[in-house]
Amino acid sequence: MFANVIDILSQYWELFLIGQYPHGPLGGLVNTLILASLALIIAFPLSVLLAIARTSPFGIFRHPVTVWVYVMRGIPLIMIIFWTYFLVPSLIGRNIGGFTTMLCTLVLYQSAYLCEIVRGGLQSLPAGQVEASRALGLGYFRTMFFILLPQALYNSIPSLISQFISIIKETSLGYIINAQEMTFAANQVNNQLLVKPFEVYFILAVTYYILCFGLTQLAQWFERRIEKKRQGSDLLAT
Amino acid sequence: MIVFSKVNKWYGEYQALADVNAEVKKGEVVVVCGPSGSGKSTLIRTVNRLEEIQGGQILYNGHDVYGVDANLNSLRSRVGFVFQNFNLFPHMSVLDNIMLAPLKLKGLNTSYVKNKALELLDMVGMSHKANAYPNQLSGGQQQRVAIARALAMEPPAMLFDEPTSALDPEMVGEVLSVMKSLAKEGMTMMCVTHEMNFAREVADKVWFMDAGKILETSDPETFFQNPTHPRAQSFIRDIRG
Repeated sequence: MFANVIDILSQYWELFLIGQYPHGPLGGLVNTLILASLALIIAFPLSVLLAIARTSPFGIFRHPVTVWVYVMRGIPLIMIIFWTYFLVPSLIGRNIGGFTTMLCTLVLYQSAYLCEIVRGGLQSLPAGQVEASRALGLGYFRTMFFILLPQALYNSIPSLISQFISIIKETSLGYIINAQEMTFAANQVNNQLLVKPFEVYFILAVTYYILCFGLTQLAQWFERRIEKKRQGSDLLAT
Repeated sequence: MIVFSKVNKWYGEYQALADVNAEVKKGEVVVVCGPSGSGKSTLIRTVNRLEEIQGGQILYNGHDVYGVDANLNSLRSRVGFVFQNFNLFPHMSVLDNIMLAPLKLKGLNTSYVKNKALELLDMVGMSHKANAYPNQLSGGQQQRVAIARALAMEPPAMLFDEPTSALDPEMVGEVLSVMKSLAKEGMTMMCVTHEMNFAREVADKVWFMDAGKILETSDPETFFQNPTHPRAQSFIRDIRG
């Protein structure tokens, strides 16, 4: 079986890696990475804003986001993909590609989940932190950005990473709306070979695993770095 | 400096402050004491509006704290507040904790603010821990840093809300001695505390509270020797054991 896997890789590595590019659209692993990164880069800051709104003392900010989160959490992702795919073109009057559809969907869906993680981080901080900051004369936003968010985001790193990982994995659903990415490429390979589905999808699974594992390691390194900074610097002082 | 007139506060049905009238004069050290639940902490927290009030008026340095046109942030930046649980920011070094407010609110340059912060740390005897993080410090050390942080905005008055209640007994002294030296320098101070020796030595006035009312305001000598109110008499008896 491993001989087969190596065989397939040596023959189709380009398709796995970049799709049909340069003879067709960019796809494969590279596009999966681009899709996941873009989704993360847009969804994460958006989720922080949503979390600020969701913990706001003003209902006008809080209620719409609450509804948003409940709706996104209560509907299967694939339904939202279909909706975006069919609804958005009819709203804006022109077709959008699978990649853009998938990116929009992931941002909408994941920002709701990430928002809840950040909210949990914010609300688990002791009330004394807000009081101390406000008592110094720092206003709501300064308190949020200098005091609350740095602590809340740091404490949320494990849950945030899990969610980032599911962003990577959910890009594979782009397959059903013809978004050019790794799963789509694997399927093309499988359609050409026909008789080696286990090997093809094994390659796919391992690749996803390596991506997610890499992200976990990166996060752990980052976490340790912050921890080290908070543990060690008094040594410099004495 | 701090004037309470007819201050009333309710938590739902429960009246936490009932018609409080009192004044802390400039340069005065006032110790607020009384049994648990008497409204001491609530009273001190109304001065910088960490608690809202339902009636009456509080003037701080001439400004109406609860006035419709009160600039809350600028007002709070001119009140030094020290908490029972220190509430240092755990993600910042000691130095950054102290420098935060002057940097963000006064727009002064970093080196000036840093020198000022180091002076304050020196004053509270914590300059050797300038780059440490709060969780590396003992409770007493954290509270001394918290006092330095509150002083960084150069407030005309300092409020202490049970500053030694969360400390191990052997650390109480170091915090009290910082407070004593502040008092000696002429700082206006209002302290909620159970440290009766501190009250006796340092206070100009003792306010005795029970059930949301100030029952007695007198100088420490009179308060500890001849309290007039029966409730204060029994309180003195109880703390003497």
